[in-house]
Amino acid sequence: MAGCLAGVACAQGLPAEGSKLLPPEQAFRLSARALDPSTLEARFDIADGYYLYRDKMRFTIEPVAAGPTELPPGKRKHDDFFGDVETYRDALVVRIPLAKPAPGQTLTLHADSQGCADAGVCYPPNPQQVQLVVPTSAGKPGPFVEPARKGWFK
Amino acid sequence: MVQVTAEPATAGPTGAVEGRSPRFGRRARVAAAIVAGAVALAAGYGVFHRGNAPARDGSAILAMVLPDVQGREQALAQWRGKILVVNFWATWCAPCREEMPHFVAAQARDGAKGVQFVGIAVDDVAKVQAFAKEIGLNYPALIGGYGAIELSKTLGNDLSALPFTIVLDRQGRVVHTQLGPLKPAKLDGLLADLLEAA
Repeated sequence: MAGCLAGVACAQGLPAEGSKLLPPEQAFRLSARALDPSTLEARFDIADGYYLYRDKMRFTIEPVAAGPTELPPGKRKHDDFFGDVETYRDALVVRIPLAKPAPGQTLTLHADSQGCADAGVCYPPNPQQVQLVVPTSAGKPGPFVEPARKGWFK
Repeated sequence: MVQVTAEPATAGPTGAVEGRSPRFGRRARVAAAIVAGAVALAAGYGVFHRGNAPARDGSAILAMVLPDVQGREQALAQWRGKILVVNFWATWCAPCREEMPHFVAAQARDGAKGVQFVGIAVDDVAKVQAFAKEIGLNYPALIGGYGAIELSKTLGNDLSALPFTIVLDRQGRVVHTQLGPLKPAKLDGLLADLLEAA
């Protein structure tokens, strides 16, 4: 226990020596773009050793609402408490239709996610948002944009 | 009604913190009180370093007052003098759920000797109750909200990840913090050392 009395060095356990847990915004990198006047695309690039829960993903858009959004199937995993759950690894790409076309408008995409690391920790649900300018015509997708601010405690 | 209070010594900038989080309502007040405690803890930590004391002051943890699953306020100070194991967890955190049956066993084994586990759930009451029932939780489950994680940040949990566990000795000093699962052998060794010291 003596080593534990050294203060901050005492915060031990994870991850294994030599590696470091990534902050959630790096473990699960969100970016998004407007594909055409009536479709947004959200993308999570998921670091190796990390995963997101499918049933914790939520996408909403303001001021034009999102249409019905289909999440791709994840990898099934049995969970003793929640039953079968689906998880995403590597990357997740979701197309989010707008309830109505919004050419030229600036929209805010809210993306909520929650994930864990194989090392044995989970991150709190992480609401993020991205501002996107919708293109005025099809065939000219906007650039990928990352969240302007990180974190959930604001 | 949930009300979060801090002991006078730690109640410092609560108002200012509240002012910055207006849309969170009740949660903001919980967070504010916890952040105030965290600030006090950080201050205490500085003092400790100048004094070369052997362990950190856990008074900010003992100053927390959080609702239990019945909505009754529970002050962590009620367990002052015990060997206190404070575990931040959530049902959405599988590694948290996996380690808790051993906490239940350790509480049953060492509770009468002065060990007290307290779970602080970053979760909904209903889910906490369901899981508590499933594993026969024999120690208090308090509802911390996301603000509770802020306190753990000052103790080395920079990423606000779960599970995160803090062990206090009978004098209220932080003798161990653990991000990620606290392995049964590690926990048992810690408790044995602390029980022997007491």
